[in-house]
Amino acid sequence: MKTIEWGFLIVNYLFLGGLSAGVYFISALAALLYKPGEPSPYTRIARLGALLAPWPVMIGCVLLIFDLGHWYRFYKLFLHVRLVSPMSIGSWLLVFFNLVALVNCYAWLTEQQRNTWFAKLPRQLAFLTKFNYDLDHWRRGLAFAGLPISVGVGIYTGVLLGAVQSRPFWNTNLVAQLFLFSALSTGCAALILGLSGRDKAAQELRLLYSLDVCFMVLEVFIVLPYLIHGQLSVQAVQDSLKLILGGPFTILFWVFFLGLGLLTPLVIELRELVPAIVSNRELHYSRLLAAGTAVLILGGGFLLRYIFVFAGQMSAME
Amino acid sequence: MAARQKRYAIVVDSKKCLNCKACVVACRAENSVPLDYSRPWMNEETRGVWPKLLAAFQPEQCHQCAHPACVRVCPTGASHHRPDGIVVVNEADCVGCRYCMIACPYNARFFRKDKGVVEKCDFCTQRVDRGQLPACVETCPSGVRIFGDLNDPKNRLAELLSSREYRVKKPEAGTGPQVYYLI
Repeated sequence: MKTIEWGFLIVNYLFLGGLSAGVYFISALAALLYKPGEPSPYTRIARLGALLAPWPVMIGCVLLIFDLGHWYRFYKLFLHVRLVSPMSIGSWLLVFFNLVALVNCYAWLTEQQRNTWFAKLPRQLAFLTKFNYDLDHWRRGLAFAGLPISVGVGIYTGVLLGAVQSRPFWNTNLVAQLFLFSALSTGCAALILGLSGRDKAAQELRLLYSLDVCFMVLEVFIVLPYLIHGQLSVQAVQDSLKLILGGPFTILFWVFFLGLGLLTPLVIELRELVPAIVSNRELHYSRLLAAGTAVLILGGGFLLRYIFVFAGQMSAME
Repeated sequence: MAARQKRYAIVVDSKKCLNCKACVVACRAENSVPLDYSRPWMNEETRGVWPKLLAAFQPEQCHQCAHPACVRVCPTGASHHRPDGIVVVNEADCVGCRYCMIACPYNARFFRKDKGVVEKCDFCTQRVDRGQLPACVETCPSGVRIFGDLNDPKNRLAELLSSREYRVKKPEAGTGPQVYYLI
Protein backbone atom coordinates (compact mmCIF):
# COMPACT_ATOMS: atom_id res chain seq x y z
CA MET A 1 0.00 0.00 0.00
CA LYS A 2 1.61 3.24 -1.10
CA THR A 3 0.64 6.16 1.09
CA ILE A 4 1.80 9.73 1.60
CA GLU A 5 3.22 9.54 5.11
CA TRP A 6 4.98 12.87 5.51
CA GLY A 7 2.77 15.91 5.11
CA PHE A 8 2.61 19.57 6.02
CA LEU A 9 4.22 19.22 9.44
CA ILE A 10 7.34 17.84 7.80
CA VAL A 11 7.28 20.45 5.00
CA ASN A 12 7.08 23.21 7.59
CA TYR A 13 9.82 21.68 9.71
CA LEU A 14 12.15 21.34 6.71
CA PHE A 15 11.58 25.01 5.92
CA LEU A 16 11.92 26.29 9.49
CA GLY A 17 14.96 24.13 10.27
CA GLY A 18 16.69 25.32 7.10
CA LEU A 19 15.75 28.92 7.86
CA SER A 20 17.30 28.78 11.33
CA ALA A 21 20.42 27.06 10.04
CA GLY A 22 20.79 29.74 7.35
CA VAL A 23 20.20 32.63 9.75
CA TYR A 24 22.74 31.22 12.20
CA PHE A 25 25.31 30.61 9.47
CA ILE A 26 25.10 34.17 8.10
CA SER A 27 25.02 35.66 11.58
CA ALA A 28 28.11 33.66 12.58
CA LEU A 29 29.92 34.75 9.40
CA ALA A 30 29.07 38.37 10.16
CA ALA A 31 30.32 37.91 13.72
CA LEU A 32 33.64 36.61 12.45
CA LEU A 33 34.15 39.28 9.76
CA TYR A 34 36.02 41.77 11.89
CA LYS A 35 39.21 42.06 13.86
CA PRO A 36 38.65 41.58 17.59
CA GLY A 37 38.71 44.92 19.34
CA GLU A 38 37.60 46.91 16.30
CA PRO A 39 34.02 47.98 15.63
CA SER A 40 32.44 45.80 12.97
CA PRO A 41 30.19 47.15 10.20
CA TYR A 42 28.21 43.89 10.40
CA THR A 43 27.27 43.82 14.08
CA ARG A 44 23.59 44.37 13.30
CA ILE A 45 23.52 41.29 11.05
CA ALA A 46 25.28 39.21 13.69
CA ARG A 47 22.96 40.40 16.48
CA LEU A 48 19.72 40.15 14.49
CA GLY A 49 20.70 36.68 13.28
CA ALA A 50 21.69 35.51 16.74
CA LEU A 51 18.43 36.74 18.27
CA LEU A 52 16.35 35.21 15.46
CA ALA A 53 18.09 31.85 14.91
CA PRO A 54 16.78 29.62 17.75
CA TRP A 55 13.03 30.22 17.30
CA PRO A 56 12.11 28.83 13.85
CA VAL A 57 14.00 25.59 14.46
CA MET A 58 12.39 25.19 17.87
CA ILE A 59 8.93 25.53 16.36
CA GLY A 60 10.07 23.07 13.68
CA CYS A 61 11.18 20.55 16.31
CA VAL A 62 7.78 20.77 18.00
CA LEU A 63 6.15 20.05 14.61
CA LEU A 64 8.47 17.05 14.14
CA ILE A 65 7.57 15.67 17.54
CA PHE A 66 3.86 15.99 16.82
CA ASP A 67 4.32 14.16 13.53
CA LEU A 68 5.45 11.04 15.40
CA GLY A 69 3.09 8.18 16.20
CA HIS A 70 2.76 9.34 19.80
CA TRP A 71 4.46 12.65 20.56
CA TYR A 72 5.51 11.60 24.07
CA ARG A 73 7.69 8.82 22.70
CA PHE A 74 10.12 11.22 21.02
CA TYR A 75 12.66 10.72 23.83
CA LYS A 76 13.35 7.25 22.45
CA LEU A 77 15.21 8.95 19.58
CA PHE A 78 17.79 10.00 22.17
CA LEU A 79 18.27 6.59 23.72
CA HIS A 80 20.10 5.49 20.58
CA VAL A 81 22.82 6.78 18.30
CA ARG A 82 22.67 5.18 14.85
CA LEU A 83 25.22 6.67 12.49
CA VAL A 84 23.73 4.85 9.48
CA SER A 85 20.37 6.56 9.95
CA PRO A 86 20.25 10.16 8.72
CA MET A 87 17.29 10.73 11.04
CA SER A 88 19.27 9.66 14.10
CA ILE A 89 22.17 11.92 13.12
CA GLY A 90 19.69 14.72 12.44
CA SER A 91 17.96 14.39 15.82
CA TRP A 92 21.26 14.77 17.63
CA LEU A 93 22.34 17.65 15.37
CA LEU A 94 19.09 19.43 16.22
CA VAL A 95 19.74 19.07 19.95
CA PHE A 96 23.23 20.57 19.65
CA PHE A 97 22.04 23.26 17.25
CA ASN A 98 19.19 24.33 19.52
CA LEU A 99 21.55 24.55 22.50
CA VAL A 100 24.24 26.52 20.66
CA ALA A 101 21.68 28.83 19.05
CA LEU A 102 20.05 29.55 22.42
CA VAL A 103 23.33 30.29 24.17
CA ASN A 104 24.39 32.41 21.19
CA CYS A 105 21.09 34.28 21.34
CA TYR A 106 21.71 35.03 25.02
CA ALA A 107 25.31 36.04 24.35
CA TRP A 108 24.21 38.67 21.83
CA LEU A 109 21.72 40.37 24.14
CA THR A 110 22.90 43.82 25.18
CA GLU A 111 23.52 44.41 28.86
CA GLN A 112 20.47 46.67 28.95
CA GLN A 113 18.26 43.98 27.38
CA ARG A 114 19.50 41.39 29.86
CA ASN A 115 18.87 43.68 32.80
CA THR A 116 15.36 44.55 31.61
CA TRP A 117 14.47 40.88 31.12
CA PHE A 118 15.82 39.73 34.43
CA ALA A 119 14.02 42.61 36.15
CA LYS A 120 10.73 41.36 34.70
CA LEU A 121 11.04 37.93 36.36
CA PRO A 122 8.29 37.20 38.93
CA ARG A 123 9.47 37.17 42.54
CA GLN A 124 9.44 33.36 42.77
CA LEU A 125 11.96 33.19 39.93
CA ALA A 126 14.07 36.08 41.19
CA PHE A 127 16.88 33.70 42.12
CA LEU A 128 17.52 33.36 38.37
CA THR A 129 19.06 36.85 38.35
CA LYS A 130 22.31 35.32 39.48
CA PHE A 131 22.53 33.82 35.97
CA ASN A 132 22.69 37.32 34.49
CA TYR A 133 26.17 36.67 33.08
CA ASP A 134 27.91 38.77 30.49
CA LEU A 135 28.81 36.34 27.69
CA ASP A 136 30.04 38.92 25.14
CA HIS A 137 33.45 37.27 25.01
CA TRP A 138 31.82 33.96 23.96
CA ARG A 139 30.43 35.38 20.71
CA ARG A 140 33.34 34.48 18.44
CA GLY A 141 33.70 31.04 19.97
CA LEU A 142 29.99 30.35 19.56
CA ALA A 143 30.15 31.56 15.96
CA PHE A 144 33.00 29.13 15.24
CA ALA A 145 31.33 26.25 17.06
CA GLY A 146 27.95 26.88 15.46
CA LEU A 147 29.11 27.17 11.84
CA PRO A 148 29.61 23.43 11.23
CA ILE A 149 26.49 22.53 13.24
CA SER A 150 24.35 24.95 11.24
CA VAL A 151 25.71 23.53 7.98
CA GLY A 152 24.87 20.08 9.35
CA VAL A 153 21.29 21.07 10.14
CA GLY A 154 20.97 22.71 6.73
CA ILE A 155 22.24 19.74 4.77
CA TYR A 156 21.09 16.68 6.74
CA THR A 157 17.45 17.09 5.69
CA GLY A 158 18.49 16.73 2.06
CA VAL A 159 20.70 13.77 2.94
CA LEU A 160 17.75 12.21 4.77
CA LEU A 161 15.59 12.37 1.64
CA GLY A 162 18.44 11.49 -0.72
CA ALA A 163 19.36 8.38 1.27
CA VAL A 164 16.17 6.60 0.23
CA GLN A 165 16.89 4.35 -2.77
CA SER A 166 13.24 3.54 -3.30
CA ARG A 167 12.19 7.14 -4.11
CA PRO A 168 13.96 8.08 -7.35
CA PHE A 169 12.87 11.74 -7.13
CA TRP A 170 15.08 12.08 -4.03
CA ASN A 171 17.78 9.52 -4.59
CA THR A 172 20.56 11.85 -5.73
CA ASN A 173 23.28 13.74 -3.90
CA LEU A 174 22.01 16.96 -5.50
CA VAL A 175 19.03 17.14 -3.14
CA ALA A 176 21.29 17.58 -0.11
CA GLN A 177 23.18 20.41 -1.81
CA LEU A 178 20.01 22.03 -3.05
CA PHE A 179 18.51 21.97 0.46
CA LEU A 180 21.69 23.39 2.00
CA PHE A 181 21.99 26.35 -0.37
CA SER A 182 18.28 26.98 -0.22
CA ALA A 183 18.56 27.02 3.59
CA LEU A 184 21.43 29.51 3.50
CA SER A 185 19.55 31.63 0.97
CA THR A 186 16.37 31.73 3.08
CA GLY A 187 18.55 32.67 6.06
CA CYS A 188 19.94 35.59 4.04
CA ALA A 189 16.42 36.54 3.02
CA ALA A 190 15.17 36.63 6.62
CA LEU A 191 18.04 38.95 7.56
CA ILE A 192 17.48 41.14 4.47
CA LEU A 193 13.84 41.40 5.49
CA GLY A 194 14.84 42.30 9.05
CA LEU A 195 17.34 44.95 7.94
CA SER A 196 15.29 46.44 5.10
CA GLY A 197 13.38 48.57 7.58
CA ARG A 198 16.47 49.91 9.34
CA ASP A 199 18.39 53.05 8.42
CA LYS A 200 21.86 53.14 6.89
CA ALA A 201 21.87 49.45 6.02
CA ALA A 202 23.71 49.81 2.69
CA GLN A 203 26.89 48.07 3.70
CA GLU A 204 25.06 45.26 5.49
CA LEU A 205 22.69 44.68 2.60
CA ARG A 206 25.64 44.64 0.24
CA LEU A 207 27.12 41.72 2.18
CA LEU A 208 23.78 39.90 2.39
CA TYR A 209 23.03 40.43 -1.31
CA SER A 210 26.50 39.22 -2.29
CA LEU A 211 26.18 36.04 -0.21
CA ASP A 212 22.62 35.46 -1.37
CA VAL A 213 23.55 35.85 -5.04
CA CYS A 214 26.23 33.18 -4.55
CA PHE A 215 23.78 30.80 -2.86
CA MET A 216 21.09 31.31 -5.50
CA VAL A 217 23.50 30.88 -8.41
CA LEU A 218 24.61 27.63 -6.79
CA GLU A 219 20.96 26.60 -6.48
CA VAL A 220 20.37 27.31 -10.17
CA PHE A 221 23.35 25.17 -11.10
CA ILE A 222 22.07 22.35 -8.92
CA VAL A 223 18.55 22.45 -10.34
CA LEU A 224 19.85 22.36 -13.93
CA PRO A 225 21.98 19.20 -13.61
CA TYR A 226 19.26 17.64 -11.44
CA LEU A 227 16.84 17.98 -14.34
CA ILE A 228 19.27 17.15 -17.13
CA HIS A 229 20.98 14.24 -15.44
CA GLY A 230 17.61 12.87 -14.33
CA GLN A 231 16.50 12.79 -17.94
CA LEU A 232 19.66 10.85 -18.84
CA SER A 233 19.19 8.37 -15.99
CA VAL A 234 17.25 5.11 -15.71
CA GLN A 235 13.54 4.84 -16.44
CA ALA A 236 12.45 5.14 -12.79
CA VAL A 237 14.23 8.50 -12.44
CA GLN A 238 12.86 9.77 -15.74
CA ASP A 239 9.38 8.76 -14.63
CA SER A 240 9.77 10.49 -11.28
CA LEU A 241 10.82 13.73 -12.99
CA LYS A 242 7.56 13.68 -14.93
CA LEU A 243 5.98 14.88 -11.67
CA ILE A 244 7.55 18.29 -12.35
CA LEU A 245 7.72 17.95 -16.15
CA GLY A 246 4.03 17.82 -17.00
CA GLY A 247 2.81 16.20 -13.79
CA PRO A 248 0.93 17.73 -10.84
CA PHE A 249 3.87 19.83 -9.60
CA THR A 250 4.85 21.38 -12.95
CA ILE A 251 3.44 24.88 -12.50
CA LEU A 252 4.43 24.99 -8.86
CA PHE A 253 7.99 24.05 -9.74
CA TRP A 254 8.61 26.08 -12.86
CA VAL A 255 6.54 29.20 -12.27
CA PHE A 256 6.38 29.58 -8.52
CA PHE A 257 9.61 27.97 -7.29
CA LEU A 258 12.06 28.46 -10.16
CA GLY A 259 10.55 31.61 -11.68
CA LEU A 260 9.24 33.62 -8.74
CA GLY A 261 11.15 32.04 -5.87
CA LEU A 262 14.63 31.77 -7.40
CA LEU A 263 15.24 33.57 -10.71
CA THR A 264 13.22 36.73 -9.99
CA PRO A 265 14.95 37.49 -6.66
CA LEU A 266 18.30 36.61 -8.25
CA VAL A 267 17.72 39.15 -11.02
CA ILE A 268 16.53 41.82 -8.56
CA GLU A 269 19.53 41.33 -6.29
CA LEU A 270 21.95 41.42 -9.23
CA ARG A 271 20.22 44.56 -10.51
CA GLU A 272 20.79 46.22 -7.12
CA LEU A 273 24.26 44.86 -6.53
CA VAL A 274 26.08 45.02 -9.88
CA PRO A 275 26.18 48.85 -10.31
CA ALA A 276 27.56 49.19 -6.78
CA ILE A 277 30.26 46.60 -7.46
CA VAL A 278 31.18 47.87 -10.92
CA SER A 279 31.61 51.49 -9.86
CA ASN A 280 32.68 50.55 -6.31
CA ARG A 281 30.07 52.85 -4.83
CA GLU A 282 27.81 52.46 -1.87
CA LEU A 283 24.75 50.33 -2.58
CA HIS A 284 21.70 52.41 -3.47
CA TYR A 285 19.00 50.03 -2.45
CA SER A 286 15.26 50.22 -2.46
CA ARG A 287 13.69 49.14 0.81
CA LEU A 288 10.60 47.88 -0.91
CA LEU A 289 12.61 45.80 -3.39
CA ALA A 290 14.74 44.41 -0.58
CA ALA A 291 11.70 43.35 1.44
CA GLY A 292 9.91 42.02 -1.67
CA THR A 293 12.93 39.98 -2.73
CA ALA A 294 13.23 38.51 0.73
CA VAL A 295 9.58 37.47 0.76
CA LEU A 296 9.96 35.85 -2.67
CA ILE A 297 13.01 33.88 -1.53
CA LEU A 298 11.28 32.71 1.64
CA GLY A 299 8.25 31.62 -0.41
CA GLY A 300 10.51 29.82 -2.88
CA GLY A 301 12.31 28.02 -0.08
CA PHE A 302 9.04 26.83 1.37
CA LEU A 303 7.77 25.67 -2.04
CA LEU A 304 10.98 23.75 -2.68
CA ARG A 305 10.35 21.70 0.49
CA TYR A 306 6.70 21.27 -0.37
CA ILE A 307 7.44 20.00 -3.87
CA PHE A 308 10.21 17.66 -2.77
CA VAL A 309 8.35 16.15 0.17
CA PHE A 310 5.20 15.34 -1.79
CA ALA A 311 6.65 14.58 -5.22
CA GLY A 312 9.32 12.40 -3.63
CA GLN A 313 6.77 10.27 -1.85
CA MET A 314 4.73 9.94 -5.03
CA SER A 315 7.76 8.69 -6.97
CA ALA A 316 8.52 4.96 -6.86
CA MET A 317 10.52 2.23 -8.54
CA GLU A 318 7.90 0.67 -10.75
CA MET B 1 29.52 -27.88 17.37
CA ALA B 2 27.54 -24.64 17.10
CA ALA B 3 24.14 -24.92 15.48
CA ARG B 4 24.14 -23.88 11.82
CA GLN B 5 22.68 -20.39 11.33
CA LYS B 6 19.27 -20.47 9.74
CA ARG B 7 18.30 -18.06 6.93
CA TYR B 8 14.57 -18.03 6.35
CA ALA B 9 12.97 -17.21 3.00
CA ILE B 10 9.78 -17.86 1.07
CA VAL B 11 9.33 -19.23 -2.42
CA VAL B 12 6.11 -18.24 -4.17
CA ASP B 13 4.66 -20.40 -6.91
CA SER B 14 2.15 -17.82 -8.04
CA LYS B 15 0.73 -19.94 -10.88
CA LYS B 16 -0.99 -22.00 -8.20
CA CYS B 17 -2.65 -18.97 -6.62
CA LEU B 18 -6.46 -18.89 -6.75
CA ASN B 19 -6.83 -15.45 -5.17
CA CYS B 20 -8.86 -16.95 -2.30
CA LYS B 21 -7.06 -14.60 0.14
CA ALA B 22 -6.96 -17.25 2.85
CA CYS B 23 -3.39 -16.08 3.57
CA VAL B 24 -4.58 -12.55 4.26
CA VAL B 25 -7.32 -13.81 6.59
CA ALA B 26 -5.07 -16.29 8.40
CA CYS B 27 -2.47 -13.56 8.95
CA ARG B 28 -5.11 -11.19 10.24
CA ALA B 29 -6.30 -13.79 12.77
CA GLU B 30 -2.81 -14.89 13.81
CA ASN B 31 -1.35 -11.41 14.24
CA SER B 32 -4.48 -9.46 15.28
CA VAL B 33 -4.23 -7.08 12.32
CA PRO B 34 -7.24 -4.71 12.16
CA LEU B 35 -9.41 -4.67 9.06
CA ASP B 36 -7.97 -1.42 7.70
CA TYR B 37 -4.52 -2.93 7.24
CA SER B 38 -2.94 -6.09 5.93
CA ARG B 39 0.51 -7.61 6.15
CA PRO B 40 0.36 -9.78 3.01
CA TRP B 41 -1.54 -8.56 -0.04
CA MET B 42 -2.55 -9.77 -3.50
CA ASN B 43 -1.43 -8.33 -6.81
CA GLU B 44 -4.02 -8.96 -9.50
CA GLU B 45 -3.32 -8.52 -13.15
CA THR B 46 -5.71 -9.02 -16.05
CA ARG B 47 -4.60 -8.76 -19.63
CA GLY B 48 -5.97 -9.25 -23.13
CA VAL B 49 -9.40 -9.15 -24.76
CA TRP B 50 -12.06 -11.84 -24.46
CA PRO B 51 -11.77 -14.71 -25.30
CA LYS B 52 -8.00 -14.45 -25.08
CA LEU B 53 -7.57 -13.37 -21.49
CA LEU B 54 -5.10 -13.77 -18.72
CA ALA B 55 -5.80 -13.27 -15.05
CA ALA B 56 -2.71 -13.59 -12.87
CA PHE B 57 -2.59 -13.44 -9.09
CA GLN B 58 0.55 -12.89 -7.15
CA PRO B 59 0.71 -12.74 -3.38
CA GLU B 60 3.23 -10.37 -1.86
CA GLN B 61 4.45 -9.47 1.62
CA CYS B 62 7.57 -8.09 3.26
CA HIS B 63 10.53 -9.41 1.28
CA GLN B 64 12.70 -9.83 4.43
CA CYS B 65 15.59 -8.26 2.53
CA ALA B 66 19.17 -9.26 3.19
CA HIS B 67 20.18 -5.57 3.21
CA PRO B 68 16.95 -3.92 4.35
CA ALA B 69 16.58 -0.19 3.66
CA CYS B 70 14.06 0.08 6.51
CA VAL B 71 16.60 -1.18 9.05
CA ARG B 72 19.29 1.18 7.80
CA VAL B 73 17.17 4.32 8.07
CA CYS B 74 15.48 3.50 11.40
CA PRO B 75 16.64 6.16 13.89
CA THR B 76 16.15 4.02 17.00
CA GLY B 77 17.01 0.53 15.81
CA ALA B 78 13.39 -0.56 16.37
CA SER B 79 13.47 -2.12 12.90
CA HIS B 80 16.13 -4.76 13.05
CA HIS B 81 17.40 -7.87 11.37
CA ARG B 82 17.28 -11.12 13.30
CA PRO B 83 20.21 -13.50 12.81
CA ASP B 84 17.83 -15.85 10.97
CA GLY B 85 17.19 -13.13 8.37
CA ILE B 86 13.72 -12.05 9.49
CA VAL B 87 13.24 -8.27 9.64
CA VAL B 88 11.15 -7.30 12.67
CA VAL B 89 9.94 -4.11 14.36
CA ASN B 90 10.38 -3.81 18.10
CA GLU B 91 7.24 -1.85 18.98
CA ALA B 92 8.71 -0.63 22.27
CA ASP B 93 11.44 1.26 20.43
CA CYS B 94 9.39 2.49 17.45
CA VAL B 95 8.64 6.23 17.60
CA GLY B 96 6.35 6.19 14.55
CA CYS B 97 8.44 8.50 12.34
CA ARG B 98 7.53 6.35 9.30
CA TYR B 99 10.91 6.82 7.63
CA CYS B 100 11.05 3.03 7.14
CA MET B 101 7.75 3.08 5.24
CA ILE B 102 9.15 5.68 2.87
CA ALA B 103 12.40 3.74 2.47
CA CYS B 104 10.75 0.38 1.70
CA PRO B 105 10.77 -0.23 -2.07
CA TYR B 106 7.88 -2.70 -1.72
CA ASN B 107 5.56 -0.54 0.41
CA ALA B 108 5.31 -3.57 2.68
CA ARG B 109 4.88 -1.58 5.87
CA PHE B 110 1.90 0.22 7.33
CA PHE B 111 1.34 2.67 10.15
CA ARG B 112 -0.92 1.54 12.99
CA LYS B 113 -2.56 4.83 13.94
CA ASP B 114 -4.07 3.24 17.07
CA LYS B 115 -0.70 2.08 18.39
CA GLY B 116 1.41 4.85 16.83
CA VAL B 117 3.91 2.33 15.49
CA VAL B 118 4.82 0.77 12.16
CA GLU B 119 3.96 -2.85 11.50
CA LYS B 120 4.89 -5.43 8.88
CA CYS B 121 5.04 -9.12 8.04
CA ASP B 122 7.55 -10.91 10.26
CA PHE B 123 7.05 -14.46 8.92
CA CYS B 124 5.05 -15.06 12.15
CA THR B 125 8.18 -15.18 14.32
CA GLN B 126 6.06 -16.40 17.25
CA ARG B 127 5.16 -19.54 15.23
CA VAL B 128 8.53 -19.99 13.50
CA ASP B 129 10.33 -19.89 16.84
CA ARG B 130 8.11 -22.81 17.96
CA GLY B 131 9.04 -24.74 14.83
CA GLN B 132 5.72 -24.05 13.08
CA LEU B 133 5.09 -22.54 9.65
CA PRO B 134 3.95 -18.93 9.16
CA ALA B 135 0.14 -18.69 9.17
CA CYS B 136 -0.10 -17.70 5.47
CA VAL B 137 2.03 -20.68 4.45
CA GLU B 138 0.13 -23.18 6.56
CA THR B 139 -3.32 -22.09 5.49
CA CYS B 140 -2.78 -21.88 1.72
CA PRO B 141 -5.03 -24.50 0.07
CA SER B 142 -2.95 -24.80 -3.08
CA GLY B 143 0.52 -24.56 -1.55
CA VAL B 144 1.57 -21.34 -3.23
CA ARG B 145 4.07 -20.36 -0.54
CA ILE B 146 6.95 -22.62 0.45
CA PHE B 147 8.72 -21.55 3.63
CA GLY B 148 12.12 -22.78 4.65
CA ASP B 149 15.74 -22.34 5.53
CA LEU B 150 18.03 -21.29 2.67
CA ASN B 151 21.04 -22.74 4.48
CA ASP B 152 19.58 -26.24 4.62
CA PRO B 153 20.27 -27.93 1.27
CA LYS B 154 17.81 -30.77 2.04
CA ASN B 155 15.00 -28.28 2.34
CA ARG B 156 12.14 -28.21 -0.19
CA LEU B 157 12.80 -24.48 -0.62
CA ALA B 158 16.47 -24.97 -1.43
CA GLU B 159 15.55 -27.79 -3.79
CA LEU B 160 13.12 -25.54 -5.72
CA LEU B 161 15.61 -22.69 -5.95
CA SER B 162 18.29 -25.00 -7.32
CA SER B 163 16.05 -26.71 -9.86
CA ARG B 164 13.57 -24.04 -11.00
CA GLU B 165 13.90 -20.60 -12.54
CA TYR B 166 12.85 -17.74 -10.33
CA ARG B 167 12.96 -13.99 -10.01
CA VAL B 168 12.88 -11.49 -7.19
CA LYS B 169 11.02 -8.17 -7.32
CA LYS B 170 12.90 -4.88 -7.80
CA PRO B 171 16.41 -6.30 -7.40
CA GLU B 172 17.63 -2.89 -8.62
CA ALA B 173 16.67 -1.44 -5.23
CA GLY B 174 19.73 -3.23 -3.92
CA THR B 175 18.06 -4.57 -0.80
CA GLY B 176 18.50 -8.28 -1.53
CA PRO B 177 14.85 -9.43 -1.30
CA GLN B 178 14.21 -12.95 0.06
CA VAL B 179 10.83 -13.68 -1.47
CA TYR B 180 11.48 -15.77 -4.58
CA TYR B 181 8.88 -16.02 -7.33
CA LEU B 182 9.03 -19.17 -9.45
CA ILE B 183 8.66 -18.55 -13.17
